Amino acid sequence: MADVYEVTIWARGVTQDMEGRHLSLLLANSADKDGKFVQAWDNYADLPDRVGVPLRKYARISDEEIEMRYEYENDNPSLSIVMDDTIVKGIDILAGMEKGGALVVNTARSPDEILKFIPNSDLLSTIVCVDATGIAGAGSMEDLDFMGSEGGVEATEVGKGMSAPLVGAAAKATDKVTLDSLVAVTANKDGVKEGYEKAVVKSL
Amino acid sequence: MAKEMFLAGCSAAAYGAALARVEVISSFPIRPYTGIMMELSKLVANGELDAEFVHGEGEHAQVAIAYGAAAAGARAYTGSSGVGVTYAMECYSPASGGRLPCQMAIADRALDPPGDFGSEHTDVMSCRDQGWIMGWAETPQEILDNTIIYYRIGEDPRVLLPQFSCQDGYFVSHIPGKVVMPEQSQVDEFLPPYKHPHALDPTKPISHGPQIYPDQGPAINLQRAQAFLDTPAVIEEVIDDYNRIFGRDYSPFLEEYRTDDADFVFFIQGGHARTARYAVNHLREKGVKAGMVKLRFVRPFPTEAVAETLSKFKAVGCVENSTSYGGAMKGGNLIHEVRSALYDVDNPPAVTSFMAGLGGEVVSLDEFYSMAKVLAEAAKTGKVDQYVYWVNFDHGV
Amino acid sequence: MSKKKYCEKFSVPEHLQVPLGACIPAPVKEQRAMITGNWRTERPVIDHEKCNLCLNCFIFCPDSSWHLDEEEERMVWNADFCKGCLLCVAECDVDCLSVENELNFKGGVVRLDKPY
Repeated sequence: MADVYEVTIWARGVTQDMEGRHLSLLLANSADKDGKFVQAWDNYADLPDRVGVPLRKYARISDEEIEMRYEYENDNPSLSIVMDDTIVKGIDILAGMEKGGALVVNTARSPDEILKFIPNSDLLSTIVCVDATGIAGAGSMEDLDFMGSEGGVEATEVGKGMSAPLVGAAAKATDKVTLDSLVAVTANKDGVKEGYEKAVVKSL
Repeated sequence: MAKEMFLAGCSAAAYGAALARVEVISSFPIRPYTGIMMELSKLVANGELDAEFVHGEGEHAQVAIAYGAAAAGARAYTGSSGVGVTYAMECYSPASGGRLPCQMAIADRALDPPGDFGSEHTDVMSCRDQGWIMGWAETPQEILDNTIIYYRIGEDPRVLLPQFSCQDGYFVSHIPGKVVMPEQSQVDEFLPPYKHPHALDPTKPISHGPQIYPDQGPAINLQRAQAFLDTPAVIEEVIDDYNRIFGRDYSPFLEEYRTDDADFVFFIQGGHARTARYAVNHLREKGVKAGMVKLRFVRPFPTEAVAETLSKFKAVGCVENSTSYGGAMKGGNLIHEVRSALYDVDNPPAVTSFMAGLGGEVVSLDEFYSMAKVLAEAAKTGKVDQYVYWVNFDHGV
Repeated sequence: MSKKKYCEKFSVPEHLQVPLGACIPAPVKEQRAMITGNWRTERPVIDHEKCNLCLNCFIFCPDSSWHLDEEEERMVWNADFCKGCLLCVAECDVDCLSVENELNFKGGVVRLDKPY
């Protein structure tokens, strides 16, 4: 069966639900543009319409058709993207990850500061930090859309807010998405490029 | 170049309803079908769909509003999941008996107890006897197409029956897939405006559901039974027309996958058919002659087609995503229908069933391989050891 | 003639076993199966010198995360369940509560691998 690259995105309920979903759609749309097979979906059990609840979005990328399509979660993420840095403290964002994975965090703090909160960081080969909220500025929380987690997904015009710089930073953590395709599919193109440039990468 | 969108089943159903120019929508929230109504309310609010959007005070009210609207001559759309479907149970017979072709979108969900959002067909399979057309979609593309197709079937003067257009909750309703969007002009060509022979009209007053004496009962029931005898021919016509206009390749009742020289088949309906295909491919790679037959309509159940198709194989495994506690086979529902259909066939296949995916459990490729092991043995010996296997828990599997 | 069975005796693995009628014991005082401390991005920090034990924080907290330790005569904050809504900060009459980012503190959160 095909090798499936799994991405788990962590975000906060209500305020980041839409941007979290857009992040998974951007990864999928971009890899799809590069000719790969993709899946992007929301976690079904997380009930994201509660302010502050940690929630998950998922993406999968593969060179071959993805056969086990109906899964509830990504059990073995190779890439974990965290949209609110306080999540790294209360959630084991590397659960299920095999050694050599990557972590991307939306934070104004440094990679070393973030690593202090992750006891199992020896699983990581790379950590990338970017202040996506700062880069996106007012656009971070302008649009709230409660539809996607109930099956109303909009895959066009995505990536207007903080998901854009965050996905740009993710391009530095993995080669499964290319910066050019990301820029092509994201609404906030400058944000993607700025996130890519300003991302701080630390190899472990 | 046809427009392609990346849609989850809920959105796809909503767009299907919008393309079908539904006129009255009655909503009430319950996961997982809720997204359909959220999407439709957005389309109505934006002015993209000209429809009355009514909120019922419960699922019972929802369905009553829908068939009331259908009685008044409006194309009505409603929906529900899980316990919502059973809450509205009282309304199903008046809708079908009154020959009111409203449509109910079902994103199925396990029934209580306890609270489980996961997909299970039991909710609407429990309503098989209520006289509605019923069938499952496997993908978001199919649910969009079915929404439009079912209106054409149900509103046909030879049929005039309400329809359940069903999809697996979460697996199909919430996981997006690529959907080719039909053009409005194509849909208008395929689906004429709804016209009921005796819609409610102050200038031609009629009564719905008057009191009768018991000896008048049988003829009234026979009328509905007759409609179901006439429906299969309409389905064939309609699917043919849909394929022609929209460039699809649907077979009316049964979709066969790699059955040409199959020893045994999985008999399945709904989203898990997608995984079954991959399982069949892998089994074939190992030299196991497996195949799959997907059921597209459970009502009207295509008895002749099932008998003719399944009699070609040595063993049949019904993949049961619904329960029939205490029923004849003490397992699920499909095995009852399949065994009945095969009763008159000379040398019928060995038939067994597998309780899989209940409660929304993921039916994995490994589970299909376990089923295949049992079926391969049954194909060899011509006999089954058990009628029902609970995949995961059964030592036999 | 072999006797056909409807379904064999089967065994359910322990982690999937279900109590009768799907009924479970109800939680008392704290629902340890749904710890919500990791919903916080910010936490209230109390200056005990300024606190006058008016109990506003206890009254207004939607999650009962403040309570009075009557022996010590101090307010006690429940780090496991406080969701960081900061209602207590808004309702405190003597400004003894301040807000700080959760990452300014090393501990105080039960680390889970699922949201709850």
